[in-house]
Amino acid sequence: MNVSASNFQIEIPETVLARARRGDNAAFETIYRAFERPAYTLALRMSGDRDDACEIVHDAMLRVLQRIAQFRGESPFWGWVRQIVANEALMRMRRNGGRVFESIDAESVELHSNDLRVEPPSTSIWPDARGLDHALNALPSLTRSVLWLYHVEGYTHPEIAEMTGKTVSFSKSQVARGTARLRTLLDPLKEAASCLMTTPP
Amino acid sequence: MPDDDTTMNFDSKRSLGAALRALPTSAPPRDLWPGLARALNPPRRRARMLLPMSFAAAVLLALLWSLPIEHRVSPSATPSAAVVSTSNVSAPMTDSPADRELDRLRARSQMIERWLQATSAQAPHDGRDLMAAAEVEDMVGLVDVQLSATRNDSDALPLWRQRVALLEDLSAIRAAPAALNLGDANRGLASAAATL
Repeated sequence: MNVSASNFQIEIPETVLARARRGDNAAFETIYRAFERPAYTLALRMSGDRDDACEIVHDAMLRVLQRIAQFRGESPFWGWVRQIVANEALMRMRRNGGRVFESIDAESVELHSNDLRVEPPSTSIWPDARGLDHALNALPSLTRSVLWLYHVEGYTHPEIAEMTGKTVSFSKSQVARGTARLRTLLDPLKEAASCLMTTPP
Repeated sequence: MPDDDTTMNFDSKRSLGAALRALPTSAPPRDLWPGLARALNPPRRRARMLLPMSFAAAVLLALLWSLPIEHRVSPSATPSAAVVSTSNVSAPMTDSPADRELDRLRARSQMIERWLQATSAQAPHDGRDLMAAAEVEDMVGLVDVQLSATRNDSDALPLWRQRVALLEDLSAIRAAPAALNLGDANRGLASAAATL
């Protein structure tokens, strides 16, 4: 089994897939174990909740293993698995309603035009994994999901638009606004300045 | 790969993407495989019946062998095993309602078995369907054992009814993947036609 730099890019041998198509339990477990961590990581990043992430992984992997005979091999198997996990996470977010299927809208964050264009953040703004993790969790779930699908999983804006049932410009704006929000959350001085500049009601 | 967008410059995308990808992966807080394995192989509903039925069949067989040979029904009138063709079953030509039903059941049994044989090679199964199919085939086998011990048609009639019902269950399990295959084939034909 060859694991590449990207978490999901795991090659499952054709012999294992063939056994799984015949209903072999050991092959099912091999496939599950291979994708356990990337699937859970994606589900956790999208849902932001450990219990929800467990249920997403369970339901998605059940779907993968029950429908493995329908996998035609026209695209990489890992891509098929990842698509099912992401769809399951988005479906669960929709089922849970507005509480978690939230995004940053135009009014909820004050963004200057420069925020959406060319302000290059210094590379040192993202170094702290713990801080980034914390800031990521502070984002609305849909914004965080779009950001993750775009930056980490490599989906395009049209693909994200199709998955989320939104527009391409929505996907682009969520990436931009999510990035701006992350930048603010990770830069305490900027955050403090913006608080000081806020006019009291 | 992410497509270009005009809202962020390359450095920003690269640095944030790299920082996000560098975050450690997480493992589920508990092992999810046991639950998945249970969901993939649900407890067999009929498994509780299988052991007593096997025992009854064994007793029946023992009794059968202890009987004089002339009391046994002709082997040609009984199926030999689950999902084995019964094309050589010769139904007697009679007029009683029970005999007519028996003829009808044998004919239906043959028809379903021919369909099952035709679809068994091409129909993919998921694990759950395979387990369910194996279970039903076991039960058909048990009915066949009992059928082989019947002495007359009135004893055989309820068993043939049961056999046909089980074969219908088996065909229902096989039907979904076969229909999917047919759908794929149709789509393939449609796309081939579109390219012409």
